[in-house]
Amino acid sequence: MTALRRHRKLTAIWASEPGWKGWTSSVNHSDLGRMFLVTAFFFFLVGGILAMLIRAQLATPHSAFVDAGAFAQFFTMHGTIMMFLFAIPTFEGLAIYLLPKMLGTRDLAFPRLTAYGYWCYAFGGSMLLIALVLGIAPDGGWFMYPPLTGPLHSPGINTDFWLIGITFVEISAICAAVELTVSILKYRAPGMSLDKMPIFAWYALVTALMILTGFPPLILGSVLLEVERAFGWPFFQADLGGDSLLWQHLFWLFGHPEVYIIFLPAAGVISTIIPVMARTTLLGYGWIVASAVALAFLSFGLWVHHMFTTGIPLMGLAFFSAASTLVAVPTGVQVFAWIGTLWKGRPELHLPMLHILGFFFTFVIGGLTGVMVAVVPFDWQTHDTAFITAHLHYVLFGGFVFPILAGIYYWLPLFTGRKRFFRLGEMAFGLIFVGFHGTFLAMHWVGLMGQRRRIETYDAETGWGVINLISSISSFVMAIGLAMVLVDVLIHAFVAVRGGRNPWKAGTLEWASMSPPPAYNFASLPHVVSRDPFHADPGLPNRLAKGEGYLGGPKANRRETLTVDIATGRPDFMVIYPGNTRLPIVMAAVTGLFFLSILLKLFWLTPLALAGVAALALVWVWRLGAQVDAGPQDAGRGAILPLAGETTKSPGWWGSVFLLAANGTFFGSLLFGYAFLWTVAPGWPPAEWLTPSLAELGIGIAAALSAALAMRFAIRSNCRSARPMTALVAAFGATVIAILTFAMLLSRVPPPDGHAYAATLCVLCAYALAHALLVSLMLSFVIARVLRGYTSAARAAELHIVSLWTDYLAVITILSLLAAHLPGMLA
Amino acid sequence: MRDILRLLLPPLVWLASFSAIYGLHGVGCALRWPEISHQEVSLFRFALLSAWFAAILMQVALLFALHRDRFKAGSAFMQWTSLATGWVGLVAVLWTLYPVAVITACGAYG
Repeated sequence: MTALRRHRKLTAIWASEPGWKGWTSSVNHSDLGRMFLVTAFFFFLVGGILAMLIRAQLATPHSAFVDAGAFAQFFTMHGTIMMFLFAIPTFEGLAIYLLPKMLGTRDLAFPRLTAYGYWCYAFGGSMLLIALVLGIAPDGGWFMYPPLTGPLHSPGINTDFWLIGITFVEISAICAAVELTVSILKYRAPGMSLDKMPIFAWYALVTALMILTGFPPLILGSVLLEVERAFGWPFFQADLGGDSLLWQHLFWLFGHPEVYIIFLPAAGVISTIIPVMARTTLLGYGWIVASAVALAFLSFGLWVHHMFTTGIPLMGLAFFSAASTLVAVPTGVQVFAWIGTLWKGRPELHLPMLHILGFFFTFVIGGLTGVMVAVVPFDWQTHDTAFITAHLHYVLFGGFVFPILAGIYYWLPLFTGRKRFFRLGEMAFGLIFVGFHGTFLAMHWVGLMGQRRRIETYDAETGWGVINLISSISSFVMAIGLAMVLVDVLIHAFVAVRGGRNPWKAGTLEWASMSPPPAYNFASLPHVVSRDPFHADPGLPNRLAKGEGYLGGPKANRRETLTVDIATGRPDFMVIYPGNTRLPIVMAAVTGLFFLSILLKLFWLTPLALAGVAALALVWVWRLGAQVDAGPQDAGRGAILPLAGETTKSPGWWGSVFLLAANGTFFGSLLFGYAFLWTVAPGWPPAEWLTPSLAELGIGIAAALSAALAMRFAIRSNCRSARPMTALVAAFGATVIAILTFAMLLSRVPPPDGHAYAATLCVLCAYALAHALLVSLMLSFVIARVLRGYTSAARAAELHIVSLWTDYLAVITILSLLAAHLPGMLA
Repeated sequence: MRDILRLLLPPLVWLASFSAIYGLHGVGCALRWPEISHQEVSLFRFALLSAWFAAILMQVALLFALHRDRFKAGSAFMQWTSLATGWVGLVAVLWTLYPVAVITACGAYG
């Protein structure tokens, strides 16, 4: 088969539908990555316009440009959009677009999940945008502290838009994180062992794992605050056993790692670009990987440094002050590794490199002011002043926007297949750099003079007027620079002349595909022997196009790729992807109905929407699998591999492992909240505890353990080619008993609107009940699959996935029941 | 996956120890444990110091295990990187938890 025929055949198999219809049905990572990026930059534009409005208002004392209410909406939405709708989705978009190409594979692990995540993001973001247009946008600040945002002080719908819209968007982040983690660990080119992975993949892996453990506390906090607002359950009301500090803990448990979730992908971009621009290899690859891992973990030990002024005991302050200073060390290691790389190479000052230099200058200043605010007495002086606003912009703009702009200019030739010919980008960089520092250097100064954050105006006598005017004028200079980048990118994308492959002479695999890459990325998959495969074998693109790699012979209508052993990169399974479908967009729309029903208090719609999501999820998974064993498949280059569905640890199993990790963090945060209220909140102990029942405790635990055990029996009998039906029905029966136990327990809990104890207990039981219902649904599904012949001794993947969930149910059942009954027993 | 776990385990153990000792500190302060002492030794301080030493010992044990042939990683790169994160865990446990030895347990500013 000629290269051209192979290209045409693969394009027919992999291409999305033509025209706008293709946007709604595409599950291709390149399409969805581009959609993520375009949407994220649209939100960046909106957030930027809000920033301009804020600066216009603050430019002069006693300004009447906007009133206090509108100003509160502007700064809340500016922060919210930039954090949740621009920064995280930009990382997701870039990673979704680039990673399969860098890793030498054809798509991500779960293409339909990518699409579902995108549509959740688009719909959730639109909800917030609609609120802004209607003038009912959130106005409690981007970190939404109660009691200001509680039902007593913010009775309107504004706060609900934030809590519900952001939770909807976070589904997208969790989907992307599961997707990226499994893809990086399993979906790589054969031979690409962990030490040969591109550095960007390491950073993306660490970031994805951080999203899985960092976002659940905020999701929990949002759920609790929304329940408090909707039903009056007093989680954050001090007079009823709640504590508003619980929100701060949950928010910053997410919020501080979030800073690194934003910075680490940017660091991945920097680590990728610098060696290429310096015509050398990355200095200290291992040091950088270890530093990224260290940074990720240390970032989870810093959250209280946002709460230094809340009256926490001195020892607690010292723990977090020490951790906050320590985090500078792995950051410093990376910065020195980048400087060392530049030192050992021959740097060329192309446009991406200008933005990297902008990053160095800005981020190092932001890092140093970060060490300043890690010192408790200094933080007490500057807390909630414009100094903090300036510091966070130095970190986030310096640590994210400059590197992302560098990344855009670096990968633009890959995205478009064209080459720049105007010098607009260089001029834009100058304006952005000067404008940024004019804006925020001045803001440090005025903050030290005492200007608080979020004030809509100030007196002329304060002496802040000139500094604010300088800051506002500079911000408009920066905005002009960013607008010029947009114009430059549009000109490049639509007008510039065609360019050649790999204009930067980089060594990573994304440049070995065509520019722009086809829907299938590689006509055949490479065997990787080096960290820079393109440098090791300059003839690689031609050989791959000729089908000399793995999977070089396209089969009719099968979208195929390979997975590998995590450590060694040895090929282990062959994967067949599903084709184009509108299921993800429909499911995201029905998920949106669920969130909308809560927002608009249409509670009759909530169970219908949930049933709709469950039904669509069943259709989603039913379409997978086969009714006959396919046996080992020829993957080319002598590799004979089983299909992923005919293994015990299928991609779905890996996905479940990481989804359960996020789920476990959510549950752990709930237990933390329960313990926090119990030990710290005023108004405890409550007037009455739940009456303990040994029978209920024993039956519940026995049922959950029996379900997990029965699933093991089911797997064992399936392995022996016996029908696993008896064990599956037993597992189902045990799960039904667990459901009844939690339903009984819920009916006995004291009224949840009377005290935070009862409210927390209700949430704990509802969580366990929801999981028991979910597992019963999964078991019903597996029983139906067995009856229809979708399982065999070889095709056991679905049984192993459900077994993971029954195990998880057993763990949370035991912990929930103990948490419910023990206080009463001890009392 | 074992290689990835080897890489993540030491900082994960640090995070667990750090959170547990912060939790212990919160519970102790809430239940007024500093008021309980035996022969002029505060039992709360003793508990915090014991927990810190246990955390240090765990990190040392992990580092020791990572050096042993039995737990060695599959490649030299992963072996080196997991030893580096092992040292990160030990330094982090020493630096971020030393306040248990030198600072007032439950006193607040002012």
